[in-house]
Formats: sequence, structure tokens, C-alpha cells
Amino acid sequence: MAELYFKRPMPHGGRLVERVIKDKKAAKKIVDFCEKVGAVYDIKPTLHYKRGVPVRNVYREIMSVCYGFFSPVEGSMTSAELESVLTKRKLLNGWIFPYPILFDISKEDYEELKKKGIGSGDRLLLKLKGKPFAILDIEEIYEIDPAELADRTFGTPETNPEVVREKFDDKHPGWVIYRSHQPIILAGKYTIINEPIFKSPFDRFWVPPRKCREIFEEKGWRTAIAHQTRNVPHVGHEMLMKTAAYTGDVEPCHGILVNAIIGVKRRGDYPDEAILEAHDMVNKAGYISPERHMVTFTLWDMRYGNPLESLLHGIIRQNMGCTHHMFGRDHAAVGEYYDTYATQILWLKGIPSYGFDKPPTEIEGGLEIRPQNMKEFWYCPHCKEMAYSGCCNHIKEKQKLSGSLIRGLVAEGVQPPPIIMRPEVYKVIVKWWKKFGYPFVNEKYVEYKEKELEVDLPDLD
Amino acid sequence: MAYILEVFLDESRLSKIKGTPVEEKIDAVFGGQLKLVRVEVGEEIKDGILKAFETARIDSRGCITDTPVAFKRALFEEIAKQKSLGEEVVKAVLDKIDEIKAAAAKESEHLPPPDIDTSDIE
Repeated sequence: MAELYFKRPMPHGGRLVERVIKDKKAAKKIVDFCEKVGAVYDIKPTLHYKRGVPVRNVYREIMSVCYGFFSPVEGSMTSAELESVLTKRKLLNGWIFPYPILFDISKEDYEELKKKGIGSGDRLLLKLKGKPFAILDIEEIYEIDPAELADRTFGTPETNPEVVREKFDDKHPGWVIYRSHQPIILAGKYTIINEPIFKSPFDRFWVPPRKCREIFEEKGWRTAIAHQTRNVPHVGHEMLMKTAAYTGDVEPCHGILVNAIIGVKRRGDYPDEAILEAHDMVNKAGYISPERHMVTFTLWDMRYGNPLESLLHGIIRQNMGCTHHMFGRDHAAVGEYYDTYATQILWLKGIPSYGFDKPPTEIEGGLEIRPQNMKEFWYCPHCKEMAYSGCCNHIKEKQKLSGSLIRGLVAEGVQPPPIIMRPEVYKVIVKWWKKFGYPFVNEKYVEYKEKELEVDLPDLD
Repeated sequence: MAYILEVFLDESRLSKIKGTPVEEKIDAVFGGQLKLVRVEVGEEIKDGILKAFETARIDSRGCITDTPVAFKRALFEEIAKQKSLGEEVVKAVLDKIDEIKAAAAKESEHLPPPDIDTSDIE
């Protein structure tokens, strides 16, 4: 039998990146030195290039790099690495990676650093909320054109005709993030020197890759399937999780790992706090046993890049120890920029124009995590159940679930029927609605998020 | 092509259309758990709604969704007033667009939460 069992995949790149200094004395020495020479930079949010509202905070990327979610990436990319990612979606060491990861600053801030004599080869202390957070060992400083970066990151209908349907523009939140980058890039490795403390409710769901692998071991999860989310779960999501988890090796997957993406989101999405607690409620209320279901998150200001985002999701969840990843229609998508099944095309056939002439599991430097591509679920009044569209043939009678249908109900204060949203899950939405005065992400929530972030920084002294 | 505006019905709304021709057109979906009526509109009205509200979109079912609550509320009131599900009820709502937009702007800041006890999960 043993040969039929799936093994937990190795981290992407062969080892988990962990760049966190836990020795406070050592950290204090670094801080003192950087402060003495003036090598200090206060992290600023990335603001929308037109509207000035926060669209990203690079601290989230630093956390995801240093705790190993993005292994084998170790820091802000050099110009050669950036070029490699944009042309081949591969790091210089040959491992696949979909997105530029960059530490960007304005020309004015660069001039200030230059005045202090800070340049390549120097160590820069990064402060968050006015307190020491991380260091960046600067290897290279170069300039980018943010508009070109945004276009090349996502592609165009002409350059990527297999899956890109519309030209990306400022209605696409991911394109806006890259378009809003500052032009000077400081490339080099990050190291966290002062571990942030997560606020409630984030503290209950913070499970970095090494810890996650240990938990899988303790729970005896040989196989685990990842569920990507940026939404509170409706019953369609719940059925996706339950049904996709029937895959496995000689038995269904032992575990379902819900990994929410936490960061700036588009208007109309649900607040991060509600997303995490609503997913947790699925197991607390017993719809999926907590023995088989665990909720976690990754810090990342979502790029909504459908197939590209699915690659990042594959990397993150492989690093966390998952053997499988479920992918549905319109995976991590917004608008009509991509083919509905672009992610599934990538994982089944590859997308040559993005550098994948074969699926990402079949190329050198690729992933080991197995895709579980799923179609949609609908309510069938004939079957009298939430049905899998690949099975149910009552096409004319189907009643499709849509996130916007449920948002419409919620906004009007109409409780969604239990067949489409569990009452306990709705209660979580209402809990956070009371706190924020609004059930969804709005400008006020985005400003609140940027002010508060998910963490506090302790004093180093 | 026809586009659909769905109007959900709770107990209060059901009572306001009781005994009218609209009552006969109530549909129940999701195992009878959700009651609604549908208003069909053509291209011109659909374009007018999308132009009026930045958030509005057409979903995979051909429904016009993500319109402000103020718009949906006004639409139901017009349905109850005219006792009709014809395109004219939407036209009447769009005639009051400035008033609805002003209410919608306030809505993007605050929406009153439903009166549900959440103390057990605080």
C-alpha cells in the first residue's frame, strides 16, 4: 500500500525560507547601528496612482517572504530577477514564481537616502508604525517604469491570447497595485528583526508554513487539500470544499486547509475579520468537522491575476504542506479580463505565452502540489440539493449561486436562506457589520485597515 | 437581449403586494426559501442603470446586480405603487435618479445592521 500513499511535498525551491531574528539583543544591536548611521526608512503604504487611497502595504510581502510563504523568494527582486519573472515567470535559480516582489520608494526618498550615503551594499532598517520591523540588505538599486511593470506583469490580449480577454486598466486592482509602485527599487534580502504581534482575530489564524507542516504531522494529515478564499463562505463554497476533498490517495484528503488572503481588497468584498471567522464557523457549527478543517491566512494585497494568482496560491500552499489545491471557475479573478477557466487551462495544459508550455507540475522548477480542478455548484430544485454541475443534468432548472446575489441580500438586510448561506455564517457577517457599520469593504474600512494593519509592533527594549 | 432585476421579498414587502397582480408573479427559489419578483428590462434601461451606478454589473445569470440598496428600495416601492413588473416601473425610478444617488452616497458610508443577537459569538 505504501507506494500508493502521497508524500507531503517539499517546500518550493527545496527548503523553507525563514528570515526572522528572534534574539532581541542581536536585533537591538542591528537597530542601534542603523540608527547611528541614519540608515532608517519608514514603510509607507502604496497609494492609488490617481485616487490616493491605500492599495498595498509592502509589510505584508515582507512577512510572507520572511516566514516562508513565498519560498524560495528571499527579498525584493534584483533587476535581472525581475526581468526573469516577467519573461519566464521563473526566478534566476530556475524555480517558478509568477509576480514581481519589490521594495519600491519614491525618488524624493531615494535622494534623502543618498544624502546619508546609503546605497548598494548597505543595510537599511525598515520601520513599521514608527517601530523597528525588518532590515533590507541592499544589493542593487534601479529604476522602473510602473506603467510598463503593470502591463508586463499581467500581459495583454495580444501577448497572451490564450487566456487574456481584455486589456488591463485601472478597474483591475492588481494592475493598479503595480501601476502605483514608486519608481526606485531597492533590491535585496529581507530579515524581520522584531516579530509583529497579531491582533484579534488574526492571531488565532496565523500559521506560518513550518508551523503548518508540524500541525499536519500532529493531526496525521498525510494528504491535505487547500482552499483559496477571499470571501465569506456560502454553501456553494462549502460544497466545493467537501467535494474536492474526496480526492486524495487511497482515501479522501485527510485535511482541508482554508487559506484566506488578507490585505487590501476591492470594494464590495467582505472585511478580512469576517472572512476568517466565517470560515472558522463552518467547522465550529459542525458543517465540516474541525478534525478535518483548519483556517489560516497569508498576508498579501491580492493581485486578482487568475492563472498567475493560482501559481502563487500553489506555491504558498505547497510551502504549507498541502498535497492538493482546489481550483474553481474564475479563480482569484475580477471582471472579464481573463477566460473563466484560465487557471484550469494553466494547470491542465499550460499557457505558453506566460512561459508554461506544459502544466506547472510538469516543468523543471515547477510545483509538486496537485491541482483539483472543479466546475461550479448550483441549486437544483429537481435534485433538491446543492448539485455539482458536472453531475446534475437538470440544466434548465438549475438556480445559480452568485456572490453578488448574496451580497444583494445582505445589503438589503434580508437573511440569505440556509440553503445558500448557513445562519451561523451570516451571524458572523452581522457581528463585523455592527463593528464597522457596513457589511462590506468600503473606503472607510480601507483607511481603517491601513491605519491599524493586522499587527502591532512590540518595543525592542 | 433582456436583462433582469431581481427584487427580494421579505414579510413586510409580501404584505404590500398582497392581492395585487404582482402577487401572482412571485417566484420562489432555492427550495422555496427565497421569494422574489423579476423585472425585465431592455438594453437602453440596462445601460442607464450601469451608467448611473458605478458598482452595478451584469452577473453570469444576466441579472443586473450590485445596485445600491436605495435603488432596490425605490424599485420595490414603485412596483407596489404601480402594481406592475413592467419596464415602466424602472423608468419611474430612473426619473428620481438624483434623489437615489444622494441616498446611495450615504449608504456607502453606513448601512444599519439587522437586529440579530450576536452576543454568543463576540
